[in-house]
Amino acid sequence: MTDDSTPTDHRRQRYRYEYQHQHADENERRPAKTDGGQSTDRQSDSVLIDGEDAELDRGPLQRWVANSISNPGRAYRAMFYTATIFFLFTTLFPFYWLLMVALTPEGRQQDIILTPNGFNPGSFVEVFQVLPFYRYMFNSFVIATASTIVVLVIASLAGYAFGRLEFPGRVPLMLLVLVISFFPPAAFFIPLNDLFNTSFFVLEPITSDGTLYNTPGAMVLPLSAIFMPLAIFILTTFYSQIPDGLEDAARVEGTTRLGALFRVIIPLSAPGVATAGVLTFIAVYNEFFFSFLMTDGQPENWAPILEGILGYQGQYQVMYHLMAAASIIGVIPVAILVIVAQEKIVSGLTAGALKE
Amino acid sequence: MARVQLEHVTKRYEEVIAVDDISMEIEDGEFVTFVGPSGCGKSTTMETVAGLTKPTEGQVYIGEKDVTTLAPKDRGVAMVFQNIALFPHMNVFENISFGLRLRKYDDEEVSRRVEQAADIVQLEGMLDRMPDEMSGGQRQRVAIARAIVRNPDVFLMDEPLANLDAKLRVHMRTELQRLHRELGTTIIYVTHDQAEAMTMSNRIAVLNEGRLQQFAPPLECYNQPANRFVAGFIGSPSMNFIEGELTEAGFQSDNVDVELEPEQVPGVGVGDGVTLGVRPEDVHIVETADAISEQTARINVETDVIEPMGDEIFVYLLLSETAGHSMDQDPASAPDQLLMSVTPDTEIRAGTAVDVVLDRSNLHLFETATGDALRHSLTDRSEPDTGTAPTEADS
Repeated sequence: MTDDSTPTDHRRQRYRYEYQHQHADENERRPAKTDGGQSTDRQSDSVLIDGEDAELDRGPLQRWVANSISNPGRAYRAMFYTATIFFLFTTLFPFYWLLMVALTPEGRQQDIILTPNGFNPGSFVEVFQVLPFYRYMFNSFVIATASTIVVLVIASLAGYAFGRLEFPGRVPLMLLVLVISFFPPAAFFIPLNDLFNTSFFVLEPITSDGTLYNTPGAMVLPLSAIFMPLAIFILTTFYSQIPDGLEDAARVEGTTRLGALFRVIIPLSAPGVATAGVLTFIAVYNEFFFSFLMTDGQPENWAPILEGILGYQGQYQVMYHLMAAASIIGVIPVAILVIVAQEKIVSGLTAGALKE
Repeated sequence: MARVQLEHVTKRYEEVIAVDDISMEIEDGEFVTFVGPSGCGKSTTMETVAGLTKPTEGQVYIGEKDVTTLAPKDRGVAMVFQNIALFPHMNVFENISFGLRLRKYDDEEVSRRVEQAADIVQLEGMLDRMPDEMSGGQRQRVAIARAIVRNPDVFLMDEPLANLDAKLRVHMRTELQRLHRELGTTIIYVTHDQAEAMTMSNRIAVLNEGRLQQFAPPLECYNQPANRFVAGFIGSPSMNFIEGELTEAGFQSDNVDVELEPEQVPGVGVGDGVTLGVRPEDVHIVETADAISEQTARINVETDVIEPMGDEIFVYLLLSETAGHSMDQDPASAPDQLLMSVTPDTEIRAGTAVDVVLDRSNLHLFETATGDALRHSLTDRSEPDTGTAPTEADS
């Protein structure tokens, strides 16, 4: 600062000298001043110079505000941390509390706030002894996986058509898909339940009585349909961004259009496919309405995890600690999936797959 | 290896006609270039050969087979794309062998042929690299290797050099010619760069607005352009055009007159509008024009801008004193300007008056209304040779 001193700098130094002697106790401003020469610093200094009287009234908050105006990055950073902490708290605290409930021994569930009333990790084992909870988990896993596969295959074909082909009625059809996704699923329930309880001759070799009720089909079919539009929109966006030249090259090299979709377009859209797949899997795994009503709740009849958790609720007592433990166990597959898929998504993005 | 034949191929989009009734026959082993300004339909024409675009009307034959409705994979063609289009998720080996693996060749055969192809394009030792680890020229070679590894009947190249820098482009140009000599495959090459077209091809197909303008060897397109468009498109800098009228005395315009008998110009009569075309190298300063046996009358001009290129000097000549210096007009086509190319040892200064003559043996006459060529040499002894300019290659 001394090297390229201008008259302004000298004046500023003089003011600073006086200022520091008047406000010798305000040490925290001094480091900001000694680095000198910065335009932001100059600006904030001139504020001080102009309003030296007002400065005397300023509390820490007002100083922070004045600082933020000259240096908005601070404010953005503060907002970021506030939002992040709020989000993490609202997301993670229920899990913490669930864990506390699960660890509390039976019958002492009152007044759990931050610590469990006792310590009983045995409830995580008891879960499997009281009910065949693994069977419910297996059912849910099968239903979610099957739905995800159905959704990804069909939505890939739809996404290819919407994203890469020009045909009359493309936009109205996409709007129709969007409209279907806005329908309340409950509106479909009664006709679907009726349909799934109807006996069909062709199904008799597969299901004992020829109906879809009490089979995975009763959940995979409606849930796939409900979560299909979202996947179609995600995949349409990704597939439309693959350069035409790559598809043309694949076709000249010897694939059909469908072959080009599976050999070139889908591998290059891996992040989009992973996103659509993970979202569908989680949505189906978490689904309540159809999962609750399309089976009779027996694990051998493909009842999903939800029925398992509700199974710890008897006529006279509710085993809250087991419900909590089961809930935590039920979350684990999804958590693993997200962690694995996240790596996939990140690797897909950083590989520069779309660069050409 | 095969010949390629297009019969009345037309591609119509909703409002536009991209390709308008193109017919041509490409011989086995020939190197043919489609050239034209952007949007002239040259890429679309090639895509109908590749099978990526289905023609609205007309037939495409490869060899003796009608392939009009065949999928691209069943046509025996290979293509190199303008944006190279290597599969970014596969390494070089996988890229080159993609087509072979799809056709279920056994592993040994695949690696033998990939190595052979990589050898031809000098890519040894790079087979396990990923495309994004390679330079533009290397990627282009991978794309070419991917095309040649299948021994296609026809090679299609859609502006393969457009994305390369100038030096690499010249280098790849010679490599492609060497490749053509080694493989002897029929090659169809699309470019908007007339220099590429002139240097590489056996025959050039000049296209404009979806129509085939001329299909002839490069020098024939240069020396005997079928019409005014071809004359202006082939050659750099492009031909000067002077619009005028055919009179009893010959060609007359505001500033340039050329004596000739009206009967020497077939197809038009006295009073019809004709355009005189002269290439910059056929404009000569009077003092240095002794070697030219048949000259036109002297034309008094003023030199305007001088562009020394090293091997030659481009001189912009103002034909009349009222000649404008408008910036928004292509100087070569400005009515009152003439572009002259002289040898670098010529002493010439801007803003001086000089006399120039035109070489009669290399003057071209076009019908102003249609743009069709009428005559390519205005010497007395030469026969009118308009008929030899082959506008229709399918004849």
